[in-house]
Formats: sequence, C-alpha cells, structure tokens
Amino acid sequence: MNFQTTQAHEELRAKVRAFAEAEIKPQAFLMDKENIFPREAVKKMGEMGLMGIPYDAKYGGAGLDVLSYAIAVEELARVDGGTGVILSAHTSLGTFPIAQFGTEEQKQKYLIDLCTGKKIGAFGLTEPNAGSDAGGTETIAEDKGDHYLLNGNKIFITNGGEADTYVVFAVTTPGIGTRGISAFIVERGWEGFTFGEHYDKMGIRSSATCELIFNDVKVPKENLLGKEGQGFKIAMATLDGGRIGIAAQALGIAQGAYEAAVEQAKERIQFGRPIAVHQGVSFKIADMATKLRNARFLVYSAAELKQAHEPYGMESAMAKMYASDIALEVTNDALQIFGGSGFLKGMEVERFYRDAKITTIYEGTNEIQRVVIGSYILGKAAKDSAPAPVAKRGGETGERKKVIFKDGTAEEKVAALVEALKKEGFDFTVGIDMLTPITQAERVVSMGKGIGEQKNVALIEALAKAAGAALGSSRPVAETLKYVPIDRYVGMSGQKFRGNLYIACGISGALQHLKGIKDASYIVAINNDPNAKIFKNCDYGIVGDILEIAPLLTAALDTGEKKPAGEMVKMKRVVPKAKPAPRKLAVCLGCGFEYDPAKGDPDAEVKPGTAFRELPEGWVCPHCGEGKDKYIEITV
Amino acid sequence: MYCYRNVTEDLFWVGGNDRRLALFENIHPLYHGVSYNAYVLLDEKTVLIDTVDWAIGRQFVENVTAVLGGRPLDYLLINHVEPDHAAAIEEILLRWPKVKLITTPKAVILLNQFGFAIEPEQIEEVREGDTRCFGKHTVTFIEAPMVHWPEAMVTFDLTNGALFSADAFGSFRSLDGKLFADEFDFDREWIDDARRYYTNIVGKYGVPVQALLKKAAGIVNDIKFICPLHGPVWRKDFGYLLDKYQHWSTYEPEETGVMIVYASMYGGTERTAEVLAAKLAERGVLNTRMYDVSSTHVSYLISDLFKYSHLVLASVTYNLGIFPPMHNFLADMKALNLQNRTCAIIENGSWAIRSGTLMREELEKLKHMEVLDESVTLASSLRTQNLTDLDALADALAASVKKEG
Repeated sequence: MNFQTTQAHEELRAKVRAFAEAEIKPQAFLMDKENIFPREAVKKMGEMGLMGIPYDAKYGGAGLDVLSYAIAVEELARVDGGTGVILSAHTSLGTFPIAQFGTEEQKQKYLIDLCTGKKIGAFGLTEPNAGSDAGGTETIAEDKGDHYLLNGNKIFITNGGEADTYVVFAVTTPGIGTRGISAFIVERGWEGFTFGEHYDKMGIRSSATCELIFNDVKVPKENLLGKEGQGFKIAMATLDGGRIGIAAQALGIAQGAYEAAVEQAKERIQFGRPIAVHQGVSFKIADMATKLRNARFLVYSAAELKQAHEPYGMESAMAKMYASDIALEVTNDALQIFGGSGFLKGMEVERFYRDAKITTIYEGTNEIQRVVIGSYILGKAAKDSAPAPVAKRGGETGERKKVIFKDGTAEEKVAALVEALKKEGFDFTVGIDMLTPITQAERVVSMGKGIGEQKNVALIEALAKAAGAALGSSRPVAETLKYVPIDRYVGMSGQKFRGNLYIACGISGALQHLKGIKDASYIVAINNDPNAKIFKNCDYGIVGDILEIAPLLTAALDTGEKKPAGEMVKMKRVVPKAKPAPRKLAVCLGCGFEYDPAKGDPDAEVKPGTAFRELPEGWVCPHCGEGKDKYIEITV
Repeated sequence: MYCYRNVTEDLFWVGGNDRRLALFENIHPLYHGVSYNAYVLLDEKTVLIDTVDWAIGRQFVENVTAVLGGRPLDYLLINHVEPDHAAAIEEILLRWPKVKLITTPKAVILLNQFGFAIEPEQIEEVREGDTRCFGKHTVTFIEAPMVHWPEAMVTFDLTNGALFSADAFGSFRSLDGKLFADEFDFDREWIDDARRYYTNIVGKYGVPVQALLKKAAGIVNDIKFICPLHGPVWRKDFGYLLDKYQHWSTYEPEETGVMIVYASMYGGTERTAEVLAAKLAERGVLNTRMYDVSSTHVSYLISDLFKYSHLVLASVTYNLGIFPPMHNFLADMKALNLQNRTCAIIENGSWAIRSGTLMREELEKLKHMEVLDESVTLASSLRTQNLTDLDALADALAASVKKEG
C-alpha cells in the first residue's frame, strides 16, 4: 500500500485540469457574477466522457472507477465550485439511482443519455418541511391506476431547470413515515412540472438551483424507480455515494484556494521580502497543505471502498464532513493571506471562500454526517419520543379557498372577482393611504416581477388607489429592481402583512413572501402562470396577464375619492376545511383500546408508523393481553 | 309476592324495578329509576336467563320461584356478568345447587374474580355459534365482546325468535308494571333515557356495536322479541330502535341542531351564550339547547351531544386553563369516543384568556371534529366591540346548520 493514485488517474486529472483551466476558468468570474450556467462547457464535458465516468460502458459510461469520478469533480471545483457540483449532482444524484435501481427499460431510456452527457440529471428530495428529516416529505404521488399523480414542491434542487431528468421522491402511502416514500423518474417538460425562480445564492453561482413544482403531474407507472416504499432506501443509498462527490468538490475548492494563496505568499512583498517567509504565513500554508492531504486521503479512500463494494457509508460521511470543514478553514486562511485584495470581487479566493460554505450544508449537513458516523460506531439510538406525523393544514399561508377564475374573458374574470370580494364584505368606498406601513395596512396591493418593466408600476399604483390599499412588492421588486423603496417589500423579516386583503400582482409566491402574508384574511392572486405557487395560497385568483387585468380591476373598484377607513377591524377568514385523510386504526375487542399506527406501541418497542398488519409476531394488546386476532381494523 | 310477566309462550320476565338508586354505576344520576330484567324459559328443561342487582334480590327470587312452580332450575344462562345483572347468582346457586351455568370462558374468569363460589363441573362454556337444546327451544350464542364488557354475549332462541341482548338495547327508567316498548309512548317518554343509557355506558364502543349489528344482520328477519337487561322488551318497531343504534354507534347526529354549553363564574359567559342563542333564533336556528356545565350532570350533556350536530362551548379561563367542569365534559367526550360534530368556541377571561385555545386543542384530539374558525374572545364580559365576532359566529353556525339540515 503506497496511497498513490495510478498513472491512469493522473492522466485523467491532467486532462480534466487542462479542460477546466482552458474552458471554465476564464468564464468563472462572469458565471459567478451573473449566475450563468456553463451549458457549453457541460456539453463538452459530455463529449469528453466526463458525464458518466463510473458507469458501465454498456450504458454509455466511461467504465472508470469511483476515484476517477472524484478526481474529475475535484479538478473542476479547483477552478469553479459551481461547475464541480454540476458534475457531482449529475453523476451521483441524478444518474446513480437509475444505474443502481432502474429496470433495463429505464436504463435504456434514461441512463445512456445521462452517461453520454446528452442529458443532465438531477435529484429531488429536499422540501420546505423535509430537510434532514426525509420523513417530513409532503410531495405526494397518488396511484391513479395507469399512472401516478404527482403534487408538491422540492426546494434547493441542484441542476434544477437545466436538467432533463429528475429522480423525485414522493409519498405513496401517507402516515407511515419514510416507509411510505417512493422514487420516480420525472422528465422536464411534462405537463404540470414547472420550476421556481433560480435562487440568488451566496456561492456556487454557476450551478443552477431552483424549486421544482409539481402540479397534477402524470407520472407513468413505468417511471416508478424500484418498488413502492423503497424511496427512502434509494435516497439514502444515493446520498452515501453523493457525499463522495461533495467531498471531492470541497477538496477541489480548498485546493484552488490553497494554490492561489501559495502563489500570493511568494509574490507579495512586505518589509522587503515575500510574506511567505513570515512564520505567520508559512505556518498557515503548512496547516492548509496538511489538511488538504488529510482530506484527500479520506475522499480517495471512500471512493476506493465504494468501488470495491466494501461498506463505505461511514467513510464517505467522514470524507464529506472533514473535507468540507477544512474547505472553510483553508479558504478562510487563503483569503487572509491575500489581505484586503482577497476581499474584493473578481478575486478567485473571494469566490472560493463563498463557494466553500455550501459544502458543509448540502448532501446532509455536517451535523447529520456526525450523526451518521456516530450511529455506525454506536448503533442507532432508539427513538423514544418520535412525534406522530403531523396532519398538515393547507399551504404556506394556511387553508385558503383557492377559488380561481381562469375561464372566460378578462372582463368576466374581473367581474367575478369583484363580486366575490364584495360578498366577503369588502367596502371599496373607503381606503387607506398608499404609503401606510405594510405592518399597519388594512389592505395591500403588491407587485412582483411579473409586472415586467418599471413603467408598469403606475398600473399597480392606480390599482392600489382604486382598491383603497397600501402599495407593496415582492422582495426582488424592491431589492433588485428597485421599483419601490425597500420598506415596501412584504416578506418575513419584520414586514408581515396582517390586514384583511392582499392583492398579489404578478407575484409567483416565494416561500419567504408567503410566510409574510399568512396572517392576511384574504389573499387575491393575479398571475399568468396557472401553476404559480401563489394560486395554491390564495383565496381568489385570476389567471391572466396583470397588464390586462390591472386596468380592468382598477376601473371596477374605482369609486373616486375614498372615504378614510376607520380603525381596522380584522376580518376572520372562513375557509372550507380539508377533510383529514382517512387513517387506519385497530380496535381491541378485549378492552376497547385503539391501536394507532402513528403512535406505535412504545412499551413493546413498536415504532411509530408501524401498520397494524406489520406488528411483530406475538404482539399482544398492551392493556388486556389479547392477541392480534381479537382486533378489528377500522378506517376513520 | 311475585310480580312477573309473560313475554310469550314459555317465556317469562322475572326482573324488577329499582327507584331508590341515586347513581347508576355510582356515577350517572337516576330520577326515574331503572329496571333489572331477567327471564325464565320453561321448556323440558328450565332456564333462567341472567339475574339482577342485589337491590331487588328478594323480588327476583320470589318471581323465579313462582314461575318455576316447584320445578327445579336446570340452567342459568349468563350473557353478562356485570354485577347489576350477576349479583343474584349466589342466591340462585344456594337455592338450586344443582343448576348448571352456561356462559363464555371469559365470563367464567370474571365470575371467579368477583368471588362467586362456582364449582368447575357446574359450568358449561359456550362459544360463538354453539347451540343448546332445552326441549322445544334451541338457542344459539353470539359473542358480543366490548358491548360494553369483554365477556358479553347475546343469546338467540331459534324457536321463538327471542334475542336476549344483554346490555344492548337497554335503557334507564323503571317499567312500572308495563313490559313492552309498545305499551309506552317510547319516543316521548323513554328515548332520552335510552340515549343517556347507551351513550354514557356503551358510547365509546361504536366499533364493537357495529360489529355485533353486522353479525346480527343475518338473523334480523327472524327476531321476534328483543329482551334487554334494562328497560322494555321490544316486539315491534325494530326499525326505529336499530336506526337509533345505527346513529349512535357511528357517531352520526340524530338531528341538526345546536347545543350550547357554557361555563360561567359571574354571568359574563352565560349572558354571551344567551345572546348567541337569541342571534341563532333570529337566524332561524331554533333547534337549540343550552346548558350550564356546572349544574348539569355530564351524562346529560353527553347524551344530547350524541343527538345534536353542532356544539358551542363557551368557557371562562380558570387557573390558566379550562374551567374544570368544562374540562371534565371534554374529557368525557374523549373517553366516549365522540366524533363527527361541528363546534364553535367562545372564550372568556379577565386576564390571560386561554380557554378557547385549550378547548380547541382538546376538540381537535377527537376524530372528525370541525372547529369553526369564527370564535369569540371576551375580556370579562360581552361588549359592543365583540358583537361583530359574535354575529360572525352566529352566521357561520347558521350557515353550517343550514348546510347540514
């Protein structure tokens, strides 16, 4: 054992490095600044055979080992962390589940195009309420006979919008936690499958990250990956391997920063000598190099174990955790060596510093990695007080009526909306000042990026006046577009709307925005995208072009000069409650006890989520000792 | 002196009435007494079907002795061993020591636990579907676990169609010389007692009752008499009775109507409940009932709640919690598995008003309870500024009542 890569590995490294230096490095600054996805470079990576390194040549892969793949990610990340993760998410997350769990038909249909780089892959697990805890998954795939009907949202999805195929996790059996989750292959372009706006990220800005929105997406039965209920297992197996990719990315980012720092230390003259001669700097470089060597061995060793089909879950967690922890330290020290100039945009170390941060967060936070490592060593701690699955009430803004006017002419839709609002008791002869602070406003008319050019702000102002409302906006409209002052933006941080009527014009419904209006009595949405999330969070909505709707609505609500509104009387909203999903219980005929799968039987070490039929052999009623045969199963 | 009645050929009612008992099961108040029913079948063999509470033991023994007319007692058939029916077993064993007991294995365990001196060779254990022939009459047994005790069974006489239904189809109230349900105006005089009996005693066990009703569906056309252990014997109008049981055991309300239950210390909450009731009446909602939770026994509240579709809870905050009698009502609802109602909440308090939030939490622990979003929060008393909310609550209730009615 000499802890050396092979000549082939080093040849591959040289090839990828040459590509990265020539094709990516010159673009890296701009890609970071402008959030540009390197489509051309990714295409070339496909042509070079980099998009399917560890997969079988039979399916278009390069047939190389996992270590080769790790080296490729490392080398890309060495010049641009974003490009590194494009390859990592594609290979480890988007492709691996199909290669490992796909049927032959699925492999023929999807794997070949992925391995050859004709298509890009992505992976959708994370949700607003299911981050580290996949058991909180709320995206649901309902069995409709010949297809599944997919509904829900996935957030923070790497390669989102750019990828062609998505491995998506959704609940097929509600109420039993992770064992009710299944995996599906979903294609971009399917009806009802849309993307949220790209996140404005701190780092890895050349990689595309956005929300996936599923609105009644029909997924053919043959696109179920593995069996029903295997989703969680597939996700965990995928993430085990994915950690190697992220570890390699962190390693590459740190390596890039380190190399820049060494160069800077040699070139920068102070007190008449290169700063490298000062121990304060040389010690830093010594530490950085040691940490890098450490991290590299961990990453490569995990890759080797995976290749050899040895257990590698703990080792990949160690590699990911350590490489990303030291990536923060190394990029920090590198920036420190650059001094003030490292703090400026355009400097690689500034970008590396920002790119590094995500690596301690995604593909399992480093805290979760420690949980994983600890459980390998100490065993899994018994869940002593696992909470029962919470029945969710409505969307981000709570239960809403969701009456959407989408048919008919614009005039008809506006008339229907105005009639509905008047029926709810809104009096449009009174109004408030347009500049009333958001937090004190009884009504707000708010604009999002959907209004388009700045000149259209006048239309929204006119509407606000006609509706007797204060003017509001989404965050990007105030912060990025600067159409309105920053104190007009409605969102989480101290700018919550608590009044009676919120009219969202051209607002798509980002999570933060929705949280800021959840106390609104009534939410009205006007948007031309019927799949916009705002429609799932509104009481009334019009699907239509805001530029056409706004003037019509203005005319309909205009009553001339508004009478001043008195003190606000908060309207209570009345919404039809969704019936809770039916759930199964079992009633004991020996004592009347109800066995509730959501609670399990902690005294008998039966975990919450255990269906009655899955109770272990010999289980008896915890209260009277009767056997399972004395129970009646009921659905309530 | 004996006081028995003939049910049908060969079959005699040998029970009695108790008007001295203040609290049934030492919990539910009685104002019109209760009957304990037992029956004797005179065939080639003589069969006593269940016994009675010890309170009327003497009358019972006189009745049995008179019906037997000097014949020995061959069998004692026990459907249910709860002591209001089994207490007189000991006396029967002393007087007719050769009698054989027919009952379920689980009943035997319970009889031993209660301390009856029964010899093992005196017992004939029976199970679901077994039959016994006493000469002309052949009976079969149907297990009825958790209606409302685990050992219970019902016995069906295949010859004359008499169903000995144990506590099922029973009722509070003494018989006062009558025996058959059709000898009363049952729907006027008895239904409230029958409901209060079922809902408080058996209410929790809707699922086992449904299971028994399903099993009984096979013989329902052959049933000629329903002979429960309390209340009148039924020989017609089975549809009326079964319909009530169907509603109660599936927790479906019998009527669309609003029950207002308030907990008030100094009248503020009470007056608000009055105003709400008036507002409901103005909106045409007239099927309403109002109760002071402090002065109404909870068994009456439970009984009415099984009847009506809507519930308004109005409570003052007490020690940062729900007023205790109201809390007790909520606890009883949970214990009795009450479900499937539309509820509204009025909360009051002079500081730190919490009862509404807490009552909502309690209601949401029950199954299929819809709690209206409209609610009223009072600070000490109802004032002008609360009227908008109270009107909104009345509107919402009226709309909901109209929808269901």
